[in-house]
Amino acid sequence: MGINLQKGQRINLTKDNPGLKKTMVGLGWDPVKQSPKGLFGGLFGSKQADIDCDASVLMLDENDKLRGKENMVYFGNLKSRCGSIQHMGDNLTGAGDGDDEQIMVDLSMIPQKIAKLIFVVNIYAAAQRKQHFGMIQNAYIRLVNISDNKEMLRFNLTEEYSGKTGLFVAEIYRNNGEWKFTAVGESDTSSGLGEMVKKYQ
Amino acid sequence: MTINLNKGQKIDLTKSNPSLKKAVIGLAWDTNKYSGGGDFDLDASAFLVGSNGKTNNDLDFIFYNNLEHSTGAVIHTGDNRTGDGDGDDEQIIIEFSKIPADIDKIAITVTIDDAIARSQNFGQISNAFVRVVNEETNEEILRYDLSEDFSVETALVFCEIYRNNGEWKFNATGSGFQGGLSALCKNYGLDA
Repeated sequence: MGINLQKGQRINLTKDNPGLKKTMVGLGWDPVKQSPKGLFGGLFGSKQADIDCDASVLMLDENDKLRGKENMVYFGNLKSRCGSIQHMGDNLTGAGDGDDEQIMVDLSMIPQKIAKLIFVVNIYAAAQRKQHFGMIQNAYIRLVNISDNKEMLRFNLTEEYSGKTGLFVAEIYRNNGEWKFTAVGESDTSSGLGEMVKKYQ
Repeated sequence: MTINLNKGQKIDLTKSNPSLKKAVIGLAWDTNKYSGGGDFDLDASAFLVGSNGKTNNDLDFIFYNNLEHSTGAVIHTGDNRTGDGDGDDEQIIIEFSKIPADIDKIAITVTIDDAIARSQNFGQISNAFVRVVNEETNEEILRYDLSEDFSVETALVFCEIYRNNGEWKFNATGSGFQGGLSALCKNYGLDA
Protein backbone atom coordinates (compact mmCIF):
# COMPACT_ATOMS: atom_id res chain seq x y z
CA MET A 1 0.00 0.00 0.00
CA GLY A 2 1.33 3.43 -0.92
CA ILE A 3 1.25 6.75 0.88
CA ASN A 4 -1.86 7.96 2.65
CA LEU A 5 -2.23 11.64 1.88
CA GLN A 6 -3.75 14.38 3.95
CA LYS A 7 -5.67 17.32 2.57
CA GLY A 8 -3.34 19.86 0.95
CA GLN A 9 -0.48 17.40 0.66
CA ARG A 10 1.47 17.42 -2.60
CA ILE A 11 3.75 14.67 -3.73
CA ASN A 12 5.99 14.21 -6.69
CA LEU A 13 4.88 11.22 -8.78
CA THR A 14 7.71 10.96 -11.26
CA LYS A 15 10.76 12.03 -9.26
CA ASP A 16 11.28 8.54 -7.83
CA ASN A 17 9.45 6.87 -10.72
CA PRO A 18 10.89 8.51 -13.81
CA GLY A 19 9.35 5.93 -16.10
CA LEU A 20 5.83 6.36 -14.74
CA LYS A 21 3.41 6.35 -17.67
CA LYS A 22 0.18 4.36 -17.43
CA THR A 23 -1.76 4.90 -14.24
CA MET A 24 -5.21 4.12 -12.98
CA VAL A 25 -7.06 6.64 -10.88
CA GLY A 26 -9.73 4.91 -8.83
CA LEU A 27 -12.48 6.69 -6.94
CA GLY A 28 -14.81 5.08 -4.43
CA TRP A 29 -17.53 5.99 -2.00
CA ASP A 30 -20.28 4.38 0.03
CA PRO A 31 -23.80 5.60 0.64
CA VAL A 32 -24.56 6.50 4.23
CA LYS A 33 -27.40 4.32 5.38
CA GLN A 34 -30.36 6.57 6.05
CA SER A 35 -32.59 5.60 8.94
CA PRO A 36 -36.23 5.17 7.96
CA LYS A 37 -38.26 8.27 8.64
CA GLY A 38 -41.49 8.45 10.52
CA LEU A 39 -44.07 5.84 11.42
CA PHE A 40 -44.79 4.73 7.89
CA GLY A 41 -41.14 4.84 6.98
CA GLY A 42 -40.50 2.41 9.79
CA LEU A 43 -43.47 0.19 8.97
CA PHE A 44 -42.96 -0.08 5.25
CA GLY A 45 -39.24 0.71 5.10
CA SER A 46 -38.26 3.68 2.99
CA LYS A 47 -36.33 2.72 -0.11
CA GLN A 48 -33.17 4.78 -0.08
CA ALA A 49 -32.75 6.46 -3.43
CA ASP A 50 -29.50 5.53 -5.14
CA ILE A 51 -26.90 8.28 -5.20
CA ASP A 52 -25.32 8.57 -8.62
CA CYS A 53 -21.87 10.11 -8.14
CA ASP A 54 -20.01 10.95 -11.33
CA ALA A 55 -16.26 11.30 -11.50
CA SER A 56 -14.87 13.53 -14.24
CA VAL A 57 -11.53 14.89 -15.33
CA LEU A 58 -10.96 18.46 -16.45
CA MET A 59 -7.84 18.97 -18.58
CA LEU A 60 -6.62 22.52 -18.01
CA ASP A 61 -3.95 24.62 -19.66
CA GLU A 62 -1.18 26.47 -17.80
CA ASN A 63 -3.59 29.29 -17.00
CA ASP A 64 -5.99 26.92 -15.27
CA LYS A 65 -8.41 27.26 -18.18
CA LEU A 66 -10.54 24.59 -19.78
CA ARG A 67 -10.32 25.18 -23.50
CA GLY A 68 -13.14 23.34 -25.15
CA LYS A 69 -15.47 20.55 -24.16
CA GLU A 70 -13.12 17.98 -25.67
CA ASN A 71 -10.91 18.58 -22.64
CA MET A 72 -13.56 17.22 -20.31
CA VAL A 73 -13.65 13.47 -19.73
CA TYR A 74 -16.91 12.36 -18.11
CA PHE A 75 -19.75 9.89 -18.59
CA GLY A 76 -20.73 11.67 -21.83
CA ASN A 77 -17.20 11.74 -23.24
CA LEU A 78 -15.31 8.72 -22.00
CA LYS A 79 -12.06 9.16 -23.88
CA SER A 80 -9.97 12.27 -24.40
CA ARG A 81 -9.17 13.14 -27.99
CA CYS A 82 -5.46 12.67 -27.37
CA GLY A 83 -6.19 9.24 -25.95
CA SER A 84 -4.32 9.92 -22.73
CA ILE A 85 -7.39 9.66 -20.51
CA GLN A 86 -9.97 6.88 -20.64
CA HIS A 87 -12.92 6.82 -18.26
CA MET A 88 -14.01 3.24 -17.66
CA GLY A 89 -17.71 4.00 -17.35
CA ASP A 90 -20.47 5.23 -15.15
CA ASN A 91 -21.45 3.47 -11.93
CA LEU A 92 -25.05 4.47 -11.30
CA THR A 93 -25.53 3.32 -7.74
CA GLY A 94 -22.23 3.16 -5.93
CA ALA A 95 -22.87 -0.50 -5.16
CA GLY A 96 -19.95 -2.85 -4.75
CA ASP A 97 -16.67 -2.72 -2.91
CA GLY A 98 -13.52 -1.14 -4.22
CA ASP A 99 -13.41 1.53 -6.87
CA ASP A 100 -16.74 2.81 -8.05
CA GLU A 101 -15.28 4.55 -11.06
CA GLN A 102 -11.90 4.16 -12.67
CA ILE A 103 -10.06 6.47 -15.01
CA MET A 104 -6.97 5.39 -16.90
CA VAL A 105 -4.40 8.16 -17.24
CA ASP A 106 -1.33 7.76 -19.45
CA LEU A 107 0.96 10.54 -18.30
CA SER A 108 3.26 10.16 -21.28
CA MET A 109 0.46 10.92 -23.73
CA ILE A 110 -0.90 14.07 -22.14
CA PRO A 111 -0.44 16.94 -24.63
CA GLN A 112 2.21 19.48 -23.70
CA LYS A 113 -0.31 22.30 -23.55
CA ILE A 114 -2.25 20.52 -20.80
CA ALA A 115 -0.72 21.50 -17.47
CA LYS A 116 -3.19 20.12 -14.97
CA LEU A 117 -5.82 17.41 -14.58
CA ILE A 118 -8.53 18.09 -12.03
CA PHE A 119 -10.53 15.16 -10.71
CA VAL A 120 -14.01 16.17 -9.62
CA VAL A 121 -17.07 14.30 -8.44
CA ASN A 122 -20.60 15.57 -8.51
CA ILE A 123 -23.95 14.04 -7.66
CA TYR A 124 -26.10 13.59 -10.74
CA ALA A 125 -29.45 15.42 -10.46
CA ALA A 126 -28.57 16.40 -6.90
CA ALA A 127 -31.19 19.14 -6.67
CA GLN A 128 -34.06 17.08 -8.08
CA ARG A 129 -33.20 14.10 -5.91
CA LYS A 130 -32.45 16.31 -2.90
CA GLN A 131 -29.07 14.66 -2.42
CA HIS A 132 -25.73 15.97 -1.16
CA PHE A 133 -22.34 14.65 -0.10
CA GLY A 134 -23.42 14.35 3.52
CA MET A 135 -25.15 11.20 2.30
CA ILE A 136 -21.82 9.72 1.14
CA GLN A 137 -19.02 8.34 3.30
CA ASN A 138 -15.64 6.68 2.90
CA ALA A 139 -14.91 8.64 -0.27
CA TYR A 140 -11.38 8.19 -1.54
CA ILE A 141 -9.16 8.56 -4.56
CA ARG A 142 -6.17 6.33 -5.27
CA LEU A 143 -3.48 6.11 -7.90
CA VAL A 144 -2.14 2.82 -9.17
CA ASN A 145 0.97 2.36 -11.28
CA ILE A 146 -0.19 0.00 -14.04
CA SER A 147 3.30 -1.28 -14.79
CA ASP A 148 3.54 -3.05 -11.44
CA ASN A 149 -0.07 -2.80 -10.25
CA LYS A 150 1.09 -1.11 -7.05
CA GLU A 151 -1.05 1.49 -5.35
CA MET A 152 1.15 4.58 -5.09
CA LEU A 153 -1.08 6.77 -3.00
CA ARG A 154 -4.52 7.13 -1.50
CA PHE A 155 -6.40 10.15 -0.23
CA ASN A 156 -9.33 9.45 2.06
CA LEU A 157 -11.80 12.30 2.13
CA THR A 158 -12.82 12.34 5.77
CA GLU A 159 -14.23 15.82 6.00
CA GLU A 160 -17.90 16.49 6.52
CA TYR A 161 -19.29 17.56 3.15
CA SER A 162 -22.87 17.90 4.25
CA GLY A 163 -24.96 20.10 1.96
CA LYS A 164 -22.31 20.10 -0.76
CA THR A 165 -22.92 18.72 -4.22
CA GLY A 166 -19.61 19.24 -5.99
CA LEU A 167 -16.28 17.80 -4.88
CA PHE A 168 -12.83 18.81 -6.12
CA VAL A 169 -10.96 15.68 -5.16
CA ALA A 170 -7.43 15.93 -6.48
CA GLU A 171 -5.13 17.38 -9.10
CA ILE A 172 -2.33 15.88 -11.16
CA TYR A 173 -0.16 18.67 -12.55
CA ARG A 174 3.13 19.52 -14.21
CA ASN A 175 5.80 21.10 -12.03
CA ASN A 176 9.39 21.64 -13.17
CA GLY A 177 9.26 18.80 -15.64
CA GLU A 178 7.71 16.36 -13.15
CA TRP A 179 4.16 15.20 -12.50
CA LYS A 180 2.84 15.96 -9.05
CA PHE A 181 -0.35 15.03 -7.20
CA THR A 182 -2.28 17.26 -4.80
CA ALA A 183 -4.88 15.96 -2.39
CA VAL A 184 -7.44 18.76 -2.66
CA GLY A 185 -10.67 17.59 -0.98
CA GLU A 186 -12.59 20.86 -1.39
CA SER A 187 -16.30 21.14 -2.11
CA ASP A 188 -18.99 23.51 -3.26
CA THR A 189 -22.68 23.61 -4.01
CA SER A 190 -22.46 23.44 -7.79
CA SER A 191 -25.65 22.06 -9.26
CA GLY A 192 -23.73 19.85 -11.66
CA LEU A 193 -20.62 19.42 -13.76
CA GLY A 194 -21.62 22.31 -16.02
CA GLU A 195 -21.57 24.69 -13.11
CA MET A 196 -18.33 23.29 -11.65
CA VAL A 197 -16.43 23.92 -14.87
CA LYS A 198 -17.43 27.58 -14.94
CA LYS A 199 -14.53 28.25 -12.55
CA TYR A 200 -12.16 27.31 -15.34
CA GLN A 201 -13.67 29.19 -18.24
CA MET B 1 16.71 36.58 -11.10
CA THR B 2 16.61 34.38 -8.03
CA ILE B 3 19.74 32.71 -6.80
CA ASN B 4 18.76 29.10 -6.36
CA LEU B 5 19.82 28.38 -2.84
CA ASN B 6 19.62 25.00 -1.26
CA LYS B 7 18.14 24.64 2.16
CA GLY B 8 20.76 25.51 4.74
CA GLN B 9 22.96 27.27 2.22
CA LYS B 10 24.60 30.49 3.37
CA ILE B 11 25.60 33.46 1.29
CA ASP B 12 27.12 36.88 1.86
CA LEU B 13 24.80 39.81 1.75
CA THR B 14 26.76 42.93 2.53
CA LYS B 15 30.25 41.65 1.74
CA SER B 16 29.47 41.02 -1.91
CA ASN B 17 27.00 43.92 -2.06
CA PRO B 18 28.72 46.70 -0.08
CA SER B 19 26.03 49.20 -1.04
CA LEU B 20 23.20 46.94 0.19
CA LYS B 21 21.21 48.92 2.71
CA LYS B 22 17.89 47.12 2.97
CA ALA B 23 16.48 43.68 2.40
CA VAL B 24 12.77 43.26 1.78
CA ILE B 25 11.07 40.04 2.79
CA GLY B 26 7.88 39.58 0.76
CA LEU B 27 5.09 37.14 1.54
CA ALA B 28 2.30 36.56 -0.96
CA TRP B 29 -0.59 34.18 -1.45
CA ASP B 30 -3.96 33.95 -3.20
CA THR B 31 -7.35 34.13 -1.56
CA ASN B 32 -9.17 30.82 -1.24
CA LYS B 33 -10.43 29.85 -4.69
CA TYR B 34 -13.12 27.58 -3.31
CA SER B 35 -16.20 29.57 -2.34
CA GLY B 36 -17.25 28.45 1.09
CA GLY B 37 -13.65 27.70 2.02
CA GLY B 38 -12.19 29.74 4.87
CA ASP B 39 -9.74 32.63 4.54
CA PHE B 40 -6.03 31.85 4.58
CA ASP B 41 -4.29 34.23 6.99
CA LEU B 42 -0.52 33.97 6.60
CA ASP B 43 1.68 35.96 8.94
CA ALA B 44 5.28 37.02 8.41
CA SER B 45 7.21 37.69 11.63
CA ALA B 46 10.76 38.59 12.64
CA PHE B 47 12.69 37.64 15.77
CA LEU B 48 15.73 39.79 16.63
CA VAL B 49 17.97 37.56 18.73
CA GLY B 50 21.22 37.98 20.61
CA SER B 51 24.25 35.72 20.71
CA ASN B 52 22.31 33.21 22.84
CA GLY B 53 19.76 32.73 20.07
CA LYS B 54 17.01 34.34 22.15
CA THR B 55 15.20 37.65 22.05
CA ASN B 56 16.14 40.11 24.79
CA ASN B 57 12.58 41.29 25.27
CA ASP B 58 9.09 41.28 23.73
CA LEU B 59 9.86 44.30 21.60
CA ASP B 60 12.39 42.33 19.60
CA PHE B 61 9.55 40.28 18.16
CA ILE B 62 8.12 42.07 15.13
CA PHE B 63 4.72 40.79 14.07
CA TYR B 64 1.16 41.92 13.29
CA ASN B 65 0.74 43.46 16.75
CA ASN B 66 4.18 45.08 16.90
CA LEU B 67 4.95 46.45 13.47
CA GLU B 68 8.02 48.61 14.03
CA HIS B 69 11.18 47.93 15.96
CA SER B 70 12.14 50.85 18.21
CA THR B 71 15.31 51.38 16.19
CA GLY B 72 13.50 51.28 12.85
CA ALA B 73 15.78 48.39 11.84
CA VAL B 74 12.85 46.09 11.15
CA ILE B 75 9.50 47.30 9.86
CA HIS B 76 6.43 45.18 9.08
CA THR B 77 4.02 46.68 6.57
CA GLY B 78 0.90 45.27 8.22
CA ASP B 79 -1.33 42.23 8.58
CA ASN B 80 -3.08 40.88 5.48
CA ARG B 81 -5.72 38.41 6.62
CA THR B 82 -6.88 36.92 3.32
CA GLY B 83 -4.20 37.26 0.65
CA ASP B 84 -6.27 39.80 -1.24
CA GLY B 85 -4.29 42.09 -3.55
CA ASP B 86 -1.53 41.74 -6.11
CA GLY B 87 2.17 41.53 -5.34
CA ASP B 88 3.49 40.99 -1.83
CA ASP B 89 0.68 40.74 0.71
CA GLU B 90 2.97 41.34 3.68
CA GLN B 91 6.49 42.72 3.80
CA ILE B 92 9.22 42.97 6.40
CA ILE B 93 11.89 45.52 5.65
CA ILE B 94 15.30 45.22 7.28
CA GLU B 95 17.69 48.16 7.31
CA PHE B 96 21.14 46.83 8.19
CA SER B 97 22.74 49.98 9.54
CA LYS B 98 20.05 50.35 12.16
CA ILE B 99 20.29 46.87 13.66
CA PRO B 100 21.44 47.22 17.30
CA ALA B 101 24.93 45.97 18.17
CA ASP B 102 23.66 43.31 20.55
CA ILE B 103 21.49 41.68 17.88
CA ASP B 104 23.32 38.84 16.20
CA LYS B 105 20.60 37.41 14.05
CA ILE B 106 17.14 38.12 12.64
CA ALA B 107 15.00 35.06 12.01
CA ILE B 108 12.08 35.44 9.60
CA THR B 109 9.13 33.09 10.04
CA VAL B 110 5.88 32.41 8.17
CA THR B 111 2.89 30.96 9.99
CA ILE B 112 -0.74 30.21 9.14
CA ASP B 113 -2.98 31.84 11.71
CA ASP B 114 -5.34 29.43 13.45
CA ALA B 115 -4.11 26.61 11.20
CA ILE B 116 -5.27 23.77 13.42
CA ALA B 117 -8.76 25.05 14.04
CA ARG B 118 -9.16 25.83 10.35
CA SER B 119 -7.50 22.54 9.28
CA GLN B 120 -5.21 24.41 6.92
CA ASN B 121 -1.68 23.83 5.65
CA PHE B 122 0.50 25.51 3.03
CA GLY B 123 -0.47 22.91 0.43
CA GLN B 124 -4.05 24.13 0.31
CA ILE B 125 -3.05 27.66 -0.57
CA SER B 126 -2.50 28.78 -4.15
CA ASN B 127 0.54 30.75 -5.23
CA ALA B 128 1.93 31.08 -1.71
CA PHE B 129 5.54 32.10 -1.69
CA VAL B 130 8.05 33.95 0.43
CA ARG B 131 11.05 35.77 -0.96
CA VAL B 132 13.81 38.15 -0.04
CA VAL B 133 14.81 40.99 -2.34
CA ASN B 134 17.78 43.33 -2.42
CA GLU B 135 15.88 46.59 -2.06
CA GLU B 136 18.37 48.55 -4.12
CA THR B 137 18.69 46.35 -7.18
CA ASN B 138 15.32 44.64 -6.88
CA GLU B 139 17.20 41.39 -7.28
CA GLU B 140 15.45 38.42 -5.69
CA ILE B 141 17.90 36.54 -3.50
CA LEU B 142 15.74 33.59 -2.52
CA ARG B 143 12.19 32.38 -3.02
CA TYR B 144 10.39 29.42 -1.56
CA ASP B 145 7.18 28.12 -3.06
CA LEU B 146 5.27 27.39 0.12
CA SER B 147 2.53 25.22 -1.40
CA GLU B 148 4.94 23.00 -3.34
CA ASP B 149 7.83 22.68 -0.90
CA PHE B 150 6.03 22.72 2.44
CA SER B 151 2.61 21.30 1.60
CA VAL B 152 1.78 19.67 4.92
CA GLU B 153 3.42 22.35 7.08
CA THR B 154 1.73 25.21 8.88
CA ALA B 155 4.78 27.16 10.02
CA LEU B 156 8.24 27.78 8.66
CA VAL B 157 11.51 29.43 9.59
CA PHE B 158 12.14 31.00 6.18
CA CYS B 159 15.62 32.45 6.61
CA GLU B 160 18.07 33.96 9.04
CA ILE B 161 20.01 37.12 8.48
CA TYR B 162 23.05 36.99 10.76
CA ARG B 163 26.20 38.88 11.67
CA ASN B 164 29.55 37.40 10.73
CA ASN B 165 32.87 39.24 11.02
CA GLY B 166 31.28 42.62 10.71
CA GLU B 167 29.22 41.68 7.67
CA TRP B 168 25.66 40.41 7.27
CA LYS B 169 25.10 36.95 5.88
CA PHE B 170 22.02 35.03 4.85
CA ASN B 171 21.04 31.47 5.77
CA ALA B 172 18.36 29.84 3.60
CA THR B 173 16.95 27.93 6.56
CA GLY B 174 13.69 26.73 5.00
CA SER B 175 12.69 24.51 7.90
CA GLY B 176 9.14 23.58 8.76
CA PHE B 177 8.11 24.10 12.34
CA GLN B 178 5.43 22.41 14.42
CA GLY B 179 3.19 24.31 16.76
CA GLY B 180 2.70 27.63 15.01
CA LEU B 181 3.67 31.09 16.13
CA SER B 182 3.43 30.40 19.85
CA ALA B 183 5.91 27.54 19.53
CA LEU B 184 8.24 29.79 17.55
CA CYS B 185 8.01 32.43 20.28
CA LYS B 186 9.00 29.86 22.91
CA ASN B 187 11.86 28.77 20.67
CA TYR B 188 13.22 32.29 20.60
CA GLY B 189 12.83 32.84 24.34
CA LEU B 190 9.46 34.57 24.55
CA ASP B 191 6.40 33.69 26.60
CA ALA B 192 3.67 33.40 24.00
